[in-house]
Amino acid sequence: MTAEHKLSYYINNSDKILETKFNKKIRIGILSSFTINGLKETIQVKSADKNIDCTTYVGAYNQYNQEILNVESNLYKFSPDITFLIIDTQNILGDFFYFPYDVSILERKNFVEKKLKELQTLIDIFTSNTKSKLIIANFNIPTYSPYGIFETKTEYGFHQMVEDLNRKLSNNVAKSNSVYVYDFNRFILKYGENNIFDSKQFFFGDMKIALDYIPHLANDLMSYVTAYLGLSKKCIVLDLDNTLWGGVIGEDGFNGIMLGPEPPGNTYVEFQRVLLSLFQRGIILAINSKNNKDDVLKVIEEHPYMILKKEHFASMRINWNDKVSNIKEIAHELNISADSMVFFDDDPVNREFMKLNMPQILTVDLPLDSSQYVQTIKQMNEFDVLNITAEDITRGKMYVEQQKRNNFEQATPNLESFLKNLELKILIKNSNEFTIPRISQLTLKTNQFNLTTKRYQESDIKKISDNDKYIVGCAQVEDKFGDNGITGVFIVNKTNSQEWFIDTFLLSCRVMGRDVEKAILGHIINRAKEDNVELIKTQFLSSQKNKPIEDFLPNCGFKKDGDYWYYSLKTPFIIPTYLEVNIE
Amino acid sequence: MSQRLYELIAKVMGGESSSINDESSPTSVESWTSFKGYVLLSELETEFNVKFTIDEAMDVTNVADIKKHLKNHGVDLTD
Repeated sequence: MTAEHKLSYYINNSDKILETKFNKKIRIGILSSFTINGLKETIQVKSADKNIDCTTYVGAYNQYNQEILNVESNLYKFSPDITFLIIDTQNILGDFFYFPYDVSILERKNFVEKKLKELQTLIDIFTSNTKSKLIIANFNIPTYSPYGIFETKTEYGFHQMVEDLNRKLSNNVAKSNSVYVYDFNRFILKYGENNIFDSKQFFFGDMKIALDYIPHLANDLMSYVTAYLGLSKKCIVLDLDNTLWGGVIGEDGFNGIMLGPEPPGNTYVEFQRVLLSLFQRGIILAINSKNNKDDVLKVIEEHPYMILKKEHFASMRINWNDKVSNIKEIAHELNISADSMVFFDDDPVNREFMKLNMPQILTVDLPLDSSQYVQTIKQMNEFDVLNITAEDITRGKMYVEQQKRNNFEQATPNLESFLKNLELKILIKNSNEFTIPRISQLTLKTNQFNLTTKRYQESDIKKISDNDKYIVGCAQVEDKFGDNGITGVFIVNKTNSQEWFIDTFLLSCRVMGRDVEKAILGHIINRAKEDNVELIKTQFLSSQKNKPIEDFLPNCGFKKDGDYWYYSLKTPFIIPTYLEVNIE
Repeated sequence: MSQRLYELIAKVMGGESSSINDESSPTSVESWTSFKGYVLLSELETEFNVKFTIDEAMDVTNVADIKKHLKNHGVDLTD
């Protein structure tokens, strides 16, 4: 991506962030065992660049224990959404950092267990006092050992102590949905210990991360911020010539393009492999190319070294139209918003055109040298999410099934017979440990068919589910082309014996236009009737993106009164017969 | 030649290079905090491709001192 700025850029620009109305807000707490000046400012500027209003609290120098253990601490008063805790290896190991071999193997093992217990206590106290996510940095494994080359032959040696600490720390929080381990050790590996630790800065100012690398650290930490706010990118739109292969198919022909084991063809093969790995974890791929469609399809279907096949592309625009119109069509077809898209094109003119017309799309500045493509995409953190669910893994397949549905839709004369022929099956499920991560994810990511756009973290959903006054449920939607997975969510507050309130009602864009919402609403109404409720109340909170749900309430018989909509349970409600609804 | 140095200092301190001269110091430049001093040293090292010793770093009291130490490392900013 673009070269990183110097720290002074961030420090001086953090004062200049205007009090504009940013779309998103975040409160970040930073705790560390050493001086980490400049990180706060850098995170603020990077947040502002993404339209995030970021407020920070930085704990006093090496006061992380007090901040966490004292329930009255300023950290808890600040009420952060995300807290970063960065403890350096020397701090946690104490005397063991320089003198690990002054004691026995058993003592080293016991020491590590003791430190893990201390960390776990901090984690437990933290999570019981705040809703904030806790991101703990793991520990850098120093390259130095007093044993030198003999270190690797030493049982439970110095390096292994830190490795063990890291592995067990990760294991301890693996199941938690509010505590994450930031792989700080990998950060050091990426940039190099000799670069990150500047002895002079350390001795002169107790800085354990060289100032030049604070912006890089901030980049890594920003992944958590964007993922928390649901700003992760979902879709990669690709140019073809000189992007997925070398050369121009229209001029060089099937046998002339560079794609294969020889350089530079191997750079494109490798780039495609990285793209495929992203597809496999749920990133949607699409093509936006100025070419003759037949030339391209021949390459995609028949070229022996194409890694990406037709089934990996959820949408293809291969024509002579301008790329901005094409990408708008792709967004429309896939039902995703432009700000969740990333555009790759080798041509700087195309990129400028895209940036100018569609600034909300992330247009990547691909380097001139195709051997750097792989590094460019590997360094992007815009795809990071806090949880990868089963739906994410099969998403690519689902979009291909969606293409089949769209073709089917075009071939079927009217909507009702289309929906009848779809053989829709809707399974209503309660929230439970399996569905809660997906329910939270849908509330965080769904924009269009979302009545109130209330965002809930996993811990929130869990808390609401545990409350008897609430019903939290979801809908899994299946049709003759395949399983769409959990794609609908509803949260109902049983306000009192007469009245219920729909707090959240949403559908993933994948299943919009199939009357699934009527099945879910029908289910809520049936349950309300069973409880002799008289009135269902809700509200439509208009956002920039939720126009598609605007007519839902009046269409289903809700009547508006002031800011709220009401449905009288005396009004008959019919779930369309072509929907098969089951309750788990 | 001094201009390049003044501009860098102004950039780090967040001001105009015209307000920087050899006598500028943490006392005369309000934004020159001890932390900004560390940032300045780090960015001077990158800009002029030098590494100061800790003694040099601790010896800096004003811009003239920076010039003196840069000269030790072969960076001559005499106009």
